[in-house]
Amino acid sequence: MSSVILRNVNKSYGNLPIVKNLNLDVKDGEFVVLVGPSGCGKSTTLRMVAGLEDITQGDIQIGNKTINDLPPHKRNIAMVFQNYALYPHMSVRENIVFGLKKSGADADTIKNKLADVSEMLKLNEYLDRKPADLSGGQRQRVAMGRALARDADVYLFDEPLSNLDAKLRHHMRTEIARIQHQYNMTAIYVTHDQIEAMTLGDRVVVMRDGIVEQVGTPMDIYLQPTNTFVATFIGSPAMNLIEAKIEGEELVFDNYRLPATKIANVDMHSLRAHDSVLVGIRPDFFEDSTLSSPSDNLFEFNNIEVNLVENLGFDKEILFKLGGEDAKARLDLRSHVKRQEHISLSVDLNRVLLFDTSTQGMLLNAGEV
Amino acid sequence: MMNKRTPLQSVILYTLVLALVIFCVFPFLQILSTSLKHPIDWGNPSLIPRILHLDAYKELLGLMPAKEIDVPASIQRLLDNPALSAEKKQMLLAKFSSGGDVFPFGRYMLNTFVISFITGICSTFLASLAAYAIARLRFPAQSLMANGVLFVYMVGGVLLMVPLYQMSVNVGLASSAGGTIFSLFLIYLIQTLPVAMYMLGNYFRTIPFSLEEAAMMDGCSRVEAFWRIIMPLSKPMLFTVFIYCFVIAWNEYLFASVFLKQYQDFHTLPLALQTLFTSKNAIWDRIMAASMLTLLPVIICFMLANRHLSGGLTDGGVKG
Amino acid sequence: MSSVLIKNESRLGLKLVAPAVGIIGLLVIYPILFNLYLSFFDVQLNGNKTFVGLDNYTQLLGNPRYYHSVGVSVIYLIGTVIGTTVLGLAAAILMNQTFRFRNLARGLILLPYFAPVISVVFGWQFIFDPVNGIYNHVVVDVLNLTNERENLIGNPDSALFVVILFDIWKHFPIAYLLFLAKLQSVPKDLYEAAAIDGQNPWGRFWHVTLPELKFVIATVVLLRVIWNLNRFEDVYLLAPNVETLPIFTYYQAFAGIVDQGAAAAISVIQLLVLVGLIWLYVRKVLKW
Ligand SMILES: Nc1ncnc2c1ncn2[C@@H]1O[C@H](COP(=O)(O)OP(=O)(O)O)[C@@H](O)[C@H]1O
Ligand SMILES: [Mg+2]
Repeated sequence: MSSVILRNVNKSYGNLPIVKNLNLDVKDGEFVVLVGPSGCGKSTTLRMVAGLEDITQGDIQIGNKTINDLPPHKRNIAMVFQNYALYPHMSVRENIVFGLKKSGADADTIKNKLADVSEMLKLNEYLDRKPADLSGGQRQRVAMGRALARDADVYLFDEPLSNLDAKLRHHMRTEIARIQHQYNMTAIYVTHDQIEAMTLGDRVVVMRDGIVEQVGTPMDIYLQPTNTFVATFIGSPAMNLIEAKIEGEELVFDNYRLPATKIANVDMHSLRAHDSVLVGIRPDFFEDSTLSSPSDNLFEFNNIEVNLVENLGFDKEILFKLGGEDAKARLDLRSHVKRQEHISLSVDLNRVLLFDTSTQGMLLNAGEV
Repeated sequence: MMNKRTPLQSVILYTLVLALVIFCVFPFLQILSTSLKHPIDWGNPSLIPRILHLDAYKELLGLMPAKEIDVPASIQRLLDNPALSAEKKQMLLAKFSSGGDVFPFGRYMLNTFVISFITGICSTFLASLAAYAIARLRFPAQSLMANGVLFVYMVGGVLLMVPLYQMSVNVGLASSAGGTIFSLFLIYLIQTLPVAMYMLGNYFRTIPFSLEEAAMMDGCSRVEAFWRIIMPLSKPMLFTVFIYCFVIAWNEYLFASVFLKQYQDFHTLPLALQTLFTSKNAIWDRIMAASMLTLLPVIICFMLANRHLSGGLTDGGVKG
Repeated sequence: MSSVLIKNESRLGLKLVAPAVGIIGLLVIYPILFNLYLSFFDVQLNGNKTFVGLDNYTQLLGNPRYYHSVGVSVIYLIGTVIGTTVLGLAAAILMNQTFRFRNLARGLILLPYFAPVISVVFGWQFIFDPVNGIYNHVVVDVLNLTNERENLIGNPDSALFVVILFDIWKHFPIAYLLFLAKLQSVPKDLYEAAAIDGQNPWGRFWHVTLPELKFVIATVVLLRVIWNLNRFEDVYLLAPNVETLPIFTYYQAFAGIVDQGAAAAISVIQLLVLVGLIWLYVRKVLKW
């Protein structure tokens, strides 16, 4: 295992910059997830680490050695591809041991690794089949197995689960998390699915248009997104953003006046410099007022008309208008709100975030976080 | 196509299909039929021989009992002269045998097979390297080369026969049998390489690039990925291309006639058949049997490779 | 800068194309230039050369046999190009229908294309043989169209038409393959729309199929012209008395009074025409 360091890495196709000045430290044994909308340069970044794309500018180090000029096969990296890229003319067994054999492992090692991997991924019965005779989920497991059988310094995953159905994807996600902890491998995992990012990553890197927007633990990113892009990209349903006027120490929209002083970490001085601000409230942080225990920091949005209720089992999502925009709240099963009812929703002001209307950056009290 | 056909339409359709198929295969049937007919039967317009006559085949395949060579007495005296070297005697004898009934068909077939086989192997090999580079690697002048190949295969052999012949004379290749055969082999390479490259290039492009990338991640260099992943996966197309090259060389007449004319021992089948036809003992059954035997390997090849061949050729704009 | 990976890749690329491109360059590009050079010399079979300037060209342009062979070539080209295109298109439309034994029929009609010229010419010669051939049998004995058995191939004028028919027979399959590939990619709903519009089959052919095939037809025509301009074996082996340009060149170069310089000159002129056609093909056809 080794650390991976990207220093001011740039990638352009022709004159078109795709990855812009990317810096990232992946520690030994760390699982880092690159997440972002498709086309933002995640795969390109991963492929530069793999050596499948050359680096336009900057350096990539693996285990403190710069590997810019090293061809891919000398980097000792294992990779799982989105389309699996299994060798169609080889059996599952041959696919799994191909890299091991290539690295010159002895017969015993190969045998043991094969047994390990096929046990772990439940591939025992399929070892003699060709990839064409496997289901999508089985192929995915072979692709995982082929990478895991290797004793690589770094493991790369490019959207390995995106071709699976929801149930299988969930299952494999858990498997990957388990295996990663078991082997303590250094891994970079690319996905556009924020749930995968949140559940798998020791740290998450949110990218947009070739730029890293934020790097942090899943909870950091969830609770302290640096801007509206990260705030809305991470978390489902997406964070509600409502534009509010600033009147004295109050944030005003519709008939609601939120006391800004009670919002966590707000620097009133800088707030006063603005006319308006974006108020961010995650749907999860709304509560049905009839069920919430009274507290000093609670703000109540009363007289809210429920436009739609979606029952999800334990949770239900309700749709309503806030500040003229569609807003969502996620309530738990104790709430019995119905469509077209008028209800009150409360929010813990400590959970409310404020963003600059023009820069879209989070407004923070200097010194906090 | 979408609607059910009326019975009349069906009759018309099947009639047209049958007419077209007969038009295409009739000359083949004619060859087969005549090759099996006794000379007295040639004038018979029916394709079915009155009596099955296999002598022509037996003769060509060397299954006939050898006839005594008739040598005139004057020549016989020459042959008996002990001063004459064995080689000279052979040559004298050969005059009578080659002009006579013996037609070393097996030898010609072997010649043709050897040169076609080697052409097929070499051309497929060289084309696969070049096609891989053009399809998959980035290097200077890549598109120039890809388009150049297209241009080259439209320049027909006739345009090159004089300069190629002169070149081989100038470098001395034309003066020995070995050199001549080597020249011919090179010429067959250039006649097959462009289409072979084109067909293989198109095929390589259908193989997902990520397979090679996976191989590289698994520790293969580019060249190893080519050998261990691309080549095994391309087996059907490699086979097809080999067959294509083999058949082109097998069928070739022009350059064989230009280069091999004076080396009768190394004649290929097309050249030998033409010589047989223009020689004084042109006999229909023998010519047809020889044609049939020349044709047969091609038809077998065609049946083996048809599936990919038709597609591969139409993709390439096509030689011929 | 990590141009090392790129450099490695282009080095490997050049290494891999080198043998094939080298051979092609040596044996196609160089000979084309060498041919131009030779056309200014009197060249013997044994390689002896004497410089004669433009003599080869002036003699050629004053040689009625040259113009005759140009004429024969033009008739040959017109006949074969129209013939292969029309028959190829008809066959493609026919084979695009569904019927029993279609795969067998599709395979059988490709046979003429793959068969060695040398074998099939004998079949054709037998068919037109004045004594034994089925052609004379049908024309004279069955239909009584004439009283005399004719040697169609022996007479250069009629042989030209046999040669054209032979070329159509031998090469329509490749036109057919190109057409069939295109026909199979014509979306079915186009036909269905036309059928709903009340088009009969002929109307569907005229308004749907033909416009879709326009480009392929142009491709086929141009490729036929390009290949048949150089066609040698099919003509020479069936009827050596039909003197198209390539046959004339061959006779100049390797038969009778050998004049390889003159042959080189003919080739130079022919190559210029060919390059023009290829240019047309690349610019107008491949661009589509
Ligand atoms: N070979 C290429 N040439 C030009 N643009 C490319 C190439 N490969 C990728 N791109 C562009 O780079 C951007 C980033 O691609 P990618 O890294 O695959 O995104 P993703 O984050 O979805 O994995 C995309 O806009 C894509 O169009
Ligand atoms: Mg991607």
